Amino acid sequence: MVMGASGSKLEKALGDQFPEGERYFGLENFGNTCYCNSVLQALYFCIPFREQLLEYYANNKTPGDVEENLLTCLADLFMQISQAKKKTGVIAPKRFVQRVKKQNELFRSYMHQDAHEFLNFLLNELVDILEKESSAAKDSPQSSSPEKAPNGPVQPLANGVKKEPPVTLVHKNFQGILTNETRCLRCETVTARDETFLDLSVDIEQNSSITSCLKNFCSTETLNAEDKFFCDKCCSLQEAQKRMKIKKAPHILVIHLKRFKYIEQLGRYKKLSYRVVFPMELKLSNTSDDVDTEYSLFAVVVHVGSGPNHGHYVSLVKSHNHWLFFDDENVEMVEEQTLQTFFGSSHEYSGNTDHGYILFYEGLGGKS
Amino acid sequence: MAGAPGVGPGAGGGGGAAAGLKTYFKTPEGRYKLQYEKAHSAVLHYSHGGKTVSQLTVAYLKEKPASQGSQPSTPSASSGMRSAAARLLGTGNGSKALSFGGGNGASRAVAGSSRVGGGLGTPTGLGGSQGGTNYDGKGTYIVFNAADTLFISDLNSQEKDPLKSIHFSNSNPLCHAFDPEAKEGHDLIIGMGSGDVYSMSLRQQLQDPGRKPVAALHYNKGDKDVSPNGSRCTSVAWVPEREGIFVVSHSDGNLYVYDKNKDGNTDCTFPAVKDQSQFMVAHAKSSKSNPVARWHICQGSINAISFSPDGAYLATVGRDGYLRVFDFSKEQLIFGGRSYYGALLCCTWSSDGKYLLTGGEDDLVQVWGMDDRKIVAWGEGHNSWVSGVAFDSYWSPPSSDGNGENVYRFGSVGQDTQLLLWDLALDEIVVPLRHPSSASPTFSSGSPSTHWDNACPPTGVLQPSPRMRDVPKLSPLVAHRVHADPLSGMVFTSESILTICREGLIKIWVRPEQSENNQQSNSSEFALGPASKDRAITSSNKASSSSFKKLPPVLVT
Repeated sequence: MVMGASGSKLEKALGDQFPEGERYFGLENFGNTCYCNSVLQALYFCIPFREQLLEYYANNKTPGDVEENLLTCLADLFMQISQAKKKTGVIAPKRFVQRVKKQNELFRSYMHQDAHEFLNFLLNELVDILEKESSAAKDSPQSSSPEKAPNGPVQPLANGVKKEPPVTLVHKNFQGILTNETRCLRCETVTARDETFLDLSVDIEQNSSITSCLKNFCSTETLNAEDKFFCDKCCSLQEAQKRMKIKKAPHILVIHLKRFKYIEQLGRYKKLSYRVVFPMELKLSNTSDDVDTEYSLFAVVVHVGSGPNHGHYVSLVKSHNHWLFFDDENVEMVEEQTLQTFFGSSHEYSGNTDHGYILFYEGLGGKS
Repeated sequence: MAGAPGVGPGAGGGGGAAAGLKTYFKTPEGRYKLQYEKAHSAVLHYSHGGKTVSQLTVAYLKEKPASQGSQPSTPSASSGMRSAAARLLGTGNGSKALSFGGGNGASRAVAGSSRVGGGLGTPTGLGGSQGGTNYDGKGTYIVFNAADTLFISDLNSQEKDPLKSIHFSNSNPLCHAFDPEAKEGHDLIIGMGSGDVYSMSLRQQLQDPGRKPVAALHYNKGDKDVSPNGSRCTSVAWVPEREGIFVVSHSDGNLYVYDKNKDGNTDCTFPAVKDQSQFMVAHAKSSKSNPVARWHICQGSINAISFSPDGAYLATVGRDGYLRVFDFSKEQLIFGGRSYYGALLCCTWSSDGKYLLTGGEDDLVQVWGMDDRKIVAWGEGHNSWVSGVAFDSYWSPPSSDGNGENVYRFGSVGQDTQLLLWDLALDEIVVPLRHPSSASPTFSSGSPSTHWDNACPPTGVLQPSPRMRDVPKLSPLVAHRVHADPLSGMVFTSESILTICREGLIKIWVRPEQSENNQQSNSSEFALGPASKDRAITSSNKASSSSFKKLPPVLVT
């Protein structure tokens, strides 16, 4: 059901600058489904992902013979938004929410859920569906929709034992590769193990920046004392240095700020309201390329509230050089400077409880 | 990469505001000790919720001349006219505040003129009646803003609360600048969130017991091209060696040049900016108009501006990450360069005008060479955005080093609540070699497609951002967590370092020499003038600090 009453204010605010062919629709809340709505808005305004998903759905959709799954529900929802007659309004993502609850009992209750868990679940579920459909297409060569060849060379993994999965549109957009390097300090042997990721979860510190959090993520850790490393060459436990490097940077960099920390004494999670600034542009060095990958911020999922089990999620999204604020059904335009209010608090007992939680950066085409 | 060496690591887990902060930090010259704190009590209760970022200006007031209105040089006819006008505008109607709302300049001029006939004795009378105030003489004052108020504190007083609060009812003060060279009239300009500017006399504000601005002049850019909701002031600066001229930068990428002796409320129209990313200068058509010129610098906000000490060059940094250096008289771009990524937030010059510092959202401090017109080094050490940079013109390297002529000391503060001190030893910076045949990547950031290399770039070119591995790296000499809140600025004075956080708390860190000499120099505070005086002070600092051995700065290439 498409309701078009609200949102006319937004059209007036944008006026002539309303982008051609774009739609700005709020999503209805069915009771603590803001974790779902905020992530959906961020993914919808990830333009490459949206376009590739809709294209894939249009090419592979055959009426009647495709079973409904999370991918079809997501694509239907995206199509509902992008093909709406009105430019603004509210859409009820009922079918999608029901599908989510059906497939994952974690989201069945009406309790508040974690947006990052939902994002991870959604992306991995899409990967499973796409890989199954890709395998099915390979097994039946008479299929009317031939599988497209993946673009570019497939990244060979360090261990050749594992079967090579096909590159889905989720991997094309979100997947990066990390290298875990361990150097034995006795024989100087470096052991490397590759690991793929769809998003990066980084620890945060008070009054820091995303730049320094990413640096800490890739910083060197020493293994010594009771935490020594067993070196295959030395055939014994030795002191070692361990570090993480980004081997391949993703096209869409998703950064999850670990704002929920388990406190042993209390036996529950506590929210870290730390002030962590994030810039509109970012760069990542990676080991396989000679140049640094440049990124531009296009979406922020914001957690509102003082704890993990009660609160609210909203999202801020950049669309055609202006920023929009999505609070479930409500959509309004905001100034870029407004994003600074979601950096966090310098003081633990500040009244401000709106904190940036998941950051979405899109890689710029050229590399500097 | 070398991590920042920490002195007094910050308290883990945040929280406890003052628990993890030390009251001193060490340098090769000795200890810098926390001497005073300045803040308005109400500010520290977070009453304004961080809506504005506090900034800090140090103002040196000279002794009032014995004969009113005496001038050091023989004025020309026009100069005399301007001085007379300044006197009337600056001192007229001192007993009550001028109206802020109206653009009724003509009426004000008449009012001013009306005091000519009956006001011949007014300056003397006012002087006589105010002779008993405590703040008529010389002194060093701190001007800072928080929420809707401008505060003035005595730098050398132990009193924490400010001497003076000036409340603005219609908009928040965001930036301010003091002109120590002002001969007549107003010397303090304040840029507002609404885009308006006020000028006033610091001495007059101190003498008046009220909370409203005294005898302030109002300037508005009057530009019809600006968006309806206005464009906030981001930085204000007096032009050195250009009496009465000041410059205001805005968040829409425009910069306006004002004459303080002209009416500030005229309607003047500048042509529309068709290409937001194109540099363009437009002059006011009428000679009576104020502002006299508008410079459109860049797309997005101009975050800070800074003049070279001789007033010849103007540096701007912006939301697009570019430093731009202009020849102010010729109104031409000399050179510019981009940050590693993100916006640049602050900039400053060395006192000899040879180097610039910038800082911004990539957590780096950039050092730029004016002669070579390009980046010299990057300073790595901050854990958040860099919000203030400054050269220490009162510091000189110990004479035993033999490198005296080519070593600079500078400082930076950031939103990581840290103050970092750096030594810049130019002879020790190794420029990395680049292979001439390496392919040039295509830049998509809108800057000219120029390949960054060791050669001196041509005039008027904006350099794209270099790669991380191509720029020499500096490590800080000192990294000290000085505040509980993110910092917004810093100033070096002859006796101390001043730091201010975004919430408006100022800390004064006294230099090692002063603390060792029982602070006797406080009583001999005097106004600081041109660079030659700075040089003299530097020499005395050199003599007193010769016993210290300077540690070589750590360079990572």
